[in-house]
Amino acid sequence: MSTSIIPQLLKKDFMLSRRMILVFCLVSLLGVVAIALLFGRVPDWALINVGFLLLMSPAATCGIVLLMTTVVFEKEKSTQAFIMSLPVTPRHYALSKLLINVGVFGVFWLAISAIAFYFAFGRGLFPSGTMPFVIMVLLGAFVAYIGILSVSLWRQSLGLTVLSIALFEMGTSAYLWVVAFLDPVADFIYGPEPVWNSTAVGIVSAQVLVAVGLIAMTLLYQSRRRDFL
Amino acid sequence: MDVPLAIACRKINKRYPHFSLSDVDLSVEEGTVMGLVGPNGAGKSTILRMVMGLIGPDSGSVTVLGHRMPDEQMAAKRDIGFVAEDMRLYESQSIAFHMDFVKSIFDSWDDTYAANLLRSFDLKKEQKVKGLSHGQRVKATLLLALARRPKLLVFDEPTTGLDPAVRKEVIDEMMNALESESHSILFSSHNTLDVEQISDYITFIYGGRIIESCNKEDFMDGWRRIRLSNPDGKPLPMLKNIKEMQQHGRLCSLTVDQYDEGVAEHLRQSGLKVDAVERLTLEEIFLSNVHHAKANLSKEAGL
Repeated sequence: MSTSIIPQLLKKDFMLSRRMILVFCLVSLLGVVAIALLFGRVPDWALINVGFLLLMSPAATCGIVLLMTTVVFEKEKSTQAFIMSLPVTPRHYALSKLLINVGVFGVFWLAISAIAFYFAFGRGLFPSGTMPFVIMVLLGAFVAYIGILSVSLWRQSLGLTVLSIALFEMGTSAYLWVVAFLDPVADFIYGPEPVWNSTAVGIVSAQVLVAVGLIAMTLLYQSRRRDFL
Repeated sequence: MDVPLAIACRKINKRYPHFSLSDVDLSVEEGTVMGLVGPNGAGKSTILRMVMGLIGPDSGSVTVLGHRMPDEQMAAKRDIGFVAEDMRLYESQSIAFHMDFVKSIFDSWDDTYAANLLRSFDLKKEQKVKGLSHGQRVKATLLLALARRPKLLVFDEPTTGLDPAVRKEVIDEMMNALESESHSILFSSHNTLDVEQISDYITFIYGGRIIESCNKEDFMDGWRRIRLSNPDGKPLPMLKNIKEMQQHGRLCSLTVDQYDEGVAEHLRQSGLKVDAVERLTLEEIFLSNVHHAKANLSKEAGL
């Protein structure tokens, strides 16, 4: 009888959000179709901007709406008291929220990353030398999402979550600007081959470590938490 | 032989910026109903949340069904049904969605009992939560807690805001849940009628402290209001069990705890005329207790 109810919590959150997830999947699909139709018909710079918007916006919006409904509003609307009356610990609760949010956003993120790679490098939109920077941009979006999710799980506060969205968005943009102008990255960005020098490897590794660290810290905080409601 | 305890709180303390729970001792025997009575902000919900493992005490210990809380809350909550006045279900979903969800977690879920509860509460499985009235929502939450057949039920103000008819339905189902002698209920309320109706034991709480806790009969038997005439204006004797005193001219009213015949006799010997000795309702006992506790707290604070 000591088995965890995380699978049931995940299923419940998925059932509650499935229509919203489906809508964003359809919007993303339309975005991909639009990019395919625009390819070769508009200048590359326009396609890059429109493509980024069409791919990233539905994924980011879906991720934010999902964390709002599964984490923030669960507290605001007092449904959390119902969930916590069930055999669940704060750590299991946080783990289930991390899994559903990272899972759904992660699938979106992987899909848009694959599609972005296909158009950028498979269809020759970018030179191959841009590959490390594109990976940094995509990982930057993922880290920002994990950061926002960690903040929302930390306090489950609407105000703090909205503030974290603004700060992580601005912070990620500023960070990517800085990275783009670092010589070991900028010198090879238009090159014919991807160059994985120590700076590029270091930046990508740091991004992965920050994402993993934020998840670990969130779980650690939740498992040490004594007051939950 | 000692009766096994469903809940044992020992010297629990919890400090918040504007409220603290001090040295709370609370025991609920298996198979009994404990009513926790106190005004708003007395600490009832804090105690119940500690019992559920949702808040950890700063010091002291909470043991529920043999499990240390909050560390062993997962095992304990397998056998606890919790309903709180401020607990909400998912508005966009139906009662059936919630029933299926809870059933998927508890092997002990009783389909027949759930169907009976739906019928007796006049609820429809297909109803969306957002379309339910407050009373229906409380009944739906109660159904979800009862149909899993828990050993312990913890209710935080379950009847607040309910009309008398729904309140009776809720109280009746709480009583039905006690068919088995091993089931126990801890519930908080500021409705003393509900508490008087179903409790075996009653605990009064005020200002984060337990001010009195004993079985209902002792409460009802131990408290009296003594109406006196004092034509000669004699000083009233200082008895330690006088909790409240009101004097209007020659007439005087004393509220007394731990009453026995010796009290009236003592008053007569002091030259006072005992006009009547009346039993108190639980509400009157509660109000007197609160009044007394308030006076003591003010005294302690040097006010």
